[in-house]
Amino acid sequence: MNHLSEEQIVLHYYGDADAPGEIEQHLSACAECRAEYERVQSTLRQIEPLEVPEPIANLEEKTWLNIRDRLPQKSGFLRRLLGKRALNQAPATPQGPAWAGKWAIAGLMAVLIVGAFLAGRFWPRPAAPPIAQQSGEVNPQRIVLVAVGDHLEKSQMLLVEIMHNEDTGQIDFSTEQQLARDLLDDNHLYRVSAQQVGDPQIARVLDQLGRVLAEIANGPAEVSSGDLQQVRHTIQSEGLLFKVRVIQSEVNSKLRPAQVSGGNANQRL
Amino acid sequence: MEVTDAAVVAQVLAGDKDAFRVLVDRHSRSIFRVVYRMTGNQQDTEEIVQETLLRAYRSLERFELRANFSTWLYRIAVNRTLDFLNARKTQMQKDTYQIADNPDAEEKQVQLPAADPGPDRLLLSAEMKRKIAGALGLLTPSERVAFTMRHMEGRSIEEISQTLNLKTSAAKNSVFRAVQKLRQQLEPYAGQSSPSPSPRWGGSAVK
Repeated sequence: MNHLSEEQIVLHYYGDADAPGEIEQHLSACAECRAEYERVQSTLRQIEPLEVPEPIANLEEKTWLNIRDRLPQKSGFLRRLLGKRALNQAPATPQGPAWAGKWAIAGLMAVLIVGAFLAGRFWPRPAAPPIAQQSGEVNPQRIVLVAVGDHLEKSQMLLVEIMHNEDTGQIDFSTEQQLARDLLDDNHLYRVSAQQVGDPQIARVLDQLGRVLAEIANGPAEVSSGDLQQVRHTIQSEGLLFKVRVIQSEVNSKLRPAQVSGGNANQRL
Repeated sequence: MEVTDAAVVAQVLAGDKDAFRVLVDRHSRSIFRVVYRMTGNQQDTEEIVQETLLRAYRSLERFELRANFSTWLYRIAVNRTLDFLNARKTQMQKDTYQIADNPDAEEKQVQLPAADPGPDRLLLSAEMKRKIAGALGLLTPSERVAFTMRHMEGRSIEEISQTLNLKTSAAKNSVFRAVQKLRQQLEPYAGQSSPSPSPRWGGSAVK
């Protein structure tokens, strides 16, 4: 009769072993293993959680004072666009009148709407393969579509941040770099998926996006104004931000009918 | 009504750096408790609390507003602690290959357990606590963190693997290796039912 391994016994103590029923059965039949289990139990029961002392009374204050000056200012693109008043009712900043921000956002919205409309009309798209789907069934393509939409949204935010970052002196680019690294793996996955399901337009844009993300991810953590201009130039010359917005808009429009009809619409990537 | 963590995050991302103070006030103590269980040192813990919040601020763009901020912060704290323990281990390996006869508190982490502590002293729970602390100090950083999460905090293997970015099997293995080492150190002093180390595995080599 094979005895239980030490690993099985230890993991069983925590309820993490595979086939716990069989282990339990073995323990009730085998005195040697049961004794071993009791030894494990006895030792582990002695190890109580470490008593945590009460932290110093002003822990929060001390923590804040120590980190406050090390926190880089978030560029706050939205804040600059909307004006401080729109976000927290504080007095308008002296950089410009509040209405300028409103006009800026109105202009941006107009460009997005027109862009999405034009893209919808002229962007060639292959016929959607029919997918039989039962009512209430989870559509995996829809899940992918949601994930791609989320990915595009994050990518768009990153590109927007880069286009509107402060560009004087040496710029801490570590946050953008980390975000680009995180997005890069997903981007590759979605690009391959898009190619496989026959969506060359999305695949092409994700390919361009991937190259820019790789450039950011593999660049230095601190960049000069010139470096930043170079990245911006790459984004602008390929019209990448616009393309990402259009694709995102397409993805959203594919998701919309499904949301209205309870997820029954056929989806494709 | 209290502003939610997600709303505060959005405010910080909009450029209001000082709003982050609210999150520092809300979460510093809970991070302190988590980290202390893994380091056992108050001063180190305070430093890691600061580093955790600093890292969280810098990565705030990656926080999903629909997610739970405490859970996200917990993961950062555990990983910062792991980095800290790894760095300390490397430093200690550089600094001390010699084991002092009377090491100070910080050196306890590499002190070998006393071969024969004497039965009278073992009756003292304080002495047992010291033994446990010494045995925990012999674990590798990843074993210590995984063991603390599983044994002391009751986190599931799935949570451990997600937090430490490990496969489930690797998370289980870290917990097992930790227990194996702890048994070797502590079983000789365990209750009357276990006067000697395990006859089957007690002498096995510890990896």
